[in-house]
Amino acid sequence: MLIVGTVPVRGMPLVLGEAALEGYHLLVDGQRIPCTQGTGAMVSAALATTAYLGIDPPHALLVGDTGDGRGSREMYRYLIDRVAGLSPGVLALHYWLPIMSLTRALCTAIDRCQRRPFMIADAGSMYSAKAAGLAEAFDVFTPDATEVAFLADPEATHPAYIARHLFETDVSRAPELARAAYDNHGAAGLLVVKGSTDYIMRDGEVLATVGEPDVPALEAIGGTGDTITGLVTALVHAGLEPWEAAVIAARTNRMAGKYAAVTPATRVSEVIAQFPAVFRDHLCEWSGVCYVKGERSHGGG
Amino acid sequence: MRLFSKRSEANFEGGGLVLFQEVQHAMLAEKVLRSAGYEVRLVAPPPELRKGCDLALEVNLVEQPGIERVLGDRDMSYVSIEPVKTRTAPLLEVVRVTDFGDWVMVKAGNMKVTFDKSTGVIVNVSGGGCPDIPYLHAELIGRPLAQAPRPRDLGFTLCALNLERGLEECQSIHVGGVRA
Repeated sequence: MLIVGTVPVRGMPLVLGEAALEGYHLLVDGQRIPCTQGTGAMVSAALATTAYLGIDPPHALLVGDTGDGRGSREMYRYLIDRVAGLSPGVLALHYWLPIMSLTRALCTAIDRCQRRPFMIADAGSMYSAKAAGLAEAFDVFTPDATEVAFLADPEATHPAYIARHLFETDVSRAPELARAAYDNHGAAGLLVVKGSTDYIMRDGEVLATVGEPDVPALEAIGGTGDTITGLVTALVHAGLEPWEAAVIAARTNRMAGKYAAVTPATRVSEVIAQFPAVFRDHLCEWSGVCYVKGERSHGGG
Repeated sequence: MRLFSKRSEANFEGGGLVLFQEVQHAMLAEKVLRSAGYEVRLVAPPPELRKGCDLALEVNLVEQPGIERVLGDRDMSYVSIEPVKTRTAPLLEVVRVTDFGDWVMVKAGNMKVTFDKSTGVIVNVSGGGCPDIPYLHAELIGRPLAQAPRPRDLGFTLCALNLERGLEECQSIHVGGVRA
């Protein structure tokens, strides 16, 4: 599992390594990265999941970029040159400056891999994949209600510019917009549409919805969409079917919000801190993956 | 050593056009933006977008605010920056407000800003997908609305532009004393 994205640390060089937790920071190849909105939250969510399951932690390819795109370009180039050698089983792309030509070059490089990775995209990487007409090369996108309208618009290259008839992006329209996205080749194989109700869709059909527990304040908390993507990534890496991983990710995020008694002022790290308790209480019931920590090496279920 | 630069590439596709009144303005802007590190390409604008001369600069539309800042700082003359796809329109026109009791969340396009009603302090920023957003998130949280740095000054992307719109609306609501 390789998670790729920019982090808001000015001047941080490109790093690649196993992610570890150090207090409220992530540690990757000697660099300390805040567990805040964006790729930091996504990696932290994946790490919390792998730690609970007792499997290998995520590898992360990160670079500092505060918006001018220099770090993003370095990351694209590195990945284009090295993805075949890195050969990740699951490749999750996250924040970066959307650049269509470099995304196209990356997908060409991935096509040349001996083993094609399972491809997940969210945030800027989802924008560039869709804008470049490459959405269908991906296995999972995790848009919110506004972003699914962008996916549905065949001409849009960024969610900030979309056709006027798509402006009213109430999440109740998500299935309709997602179907338009599939029709217009703007959707990945599986869509996890995040909102007051989460919709998990494949080929235009709703496979599942998740609406409970209802924790409206989660929408205000920066990073709570990133955590869903991190959960999906780790759960797919752990061997769950993608749609099942998506359902469990959506449920876990909501339940963690409830456990943390979130308000709109809560930090995403407080939500992630509840994941182990949510897994302990519900993962067996939700997934059928039932074991007590330490049992697996003795053949525990 | 700088390993990678934003040099123009043969297959560059940016999705945005800077339109000019004069050909020499377009050529000067190309030089200025290239020297600032932006990937650009001189192109002929399609007839439906032609507002001045027959030369335009193709740019990465996502980088519109950063490009506008560079052109503005150098006092460069241009007409506008437009998406190549003419049937799209800026979503930041759509602003929604959610009242959470002690807090108000403003959604502008794909960005959300939440502030404390009593103190006017920004408590959260969410949404977006461009690399300046996690940076702006860190810069804005904990700041009173009146003293918050402006996304249009610190940001580079369309996500930052939406965040700027959201912040403006938060300031307007707080100054106006709108309470539930």
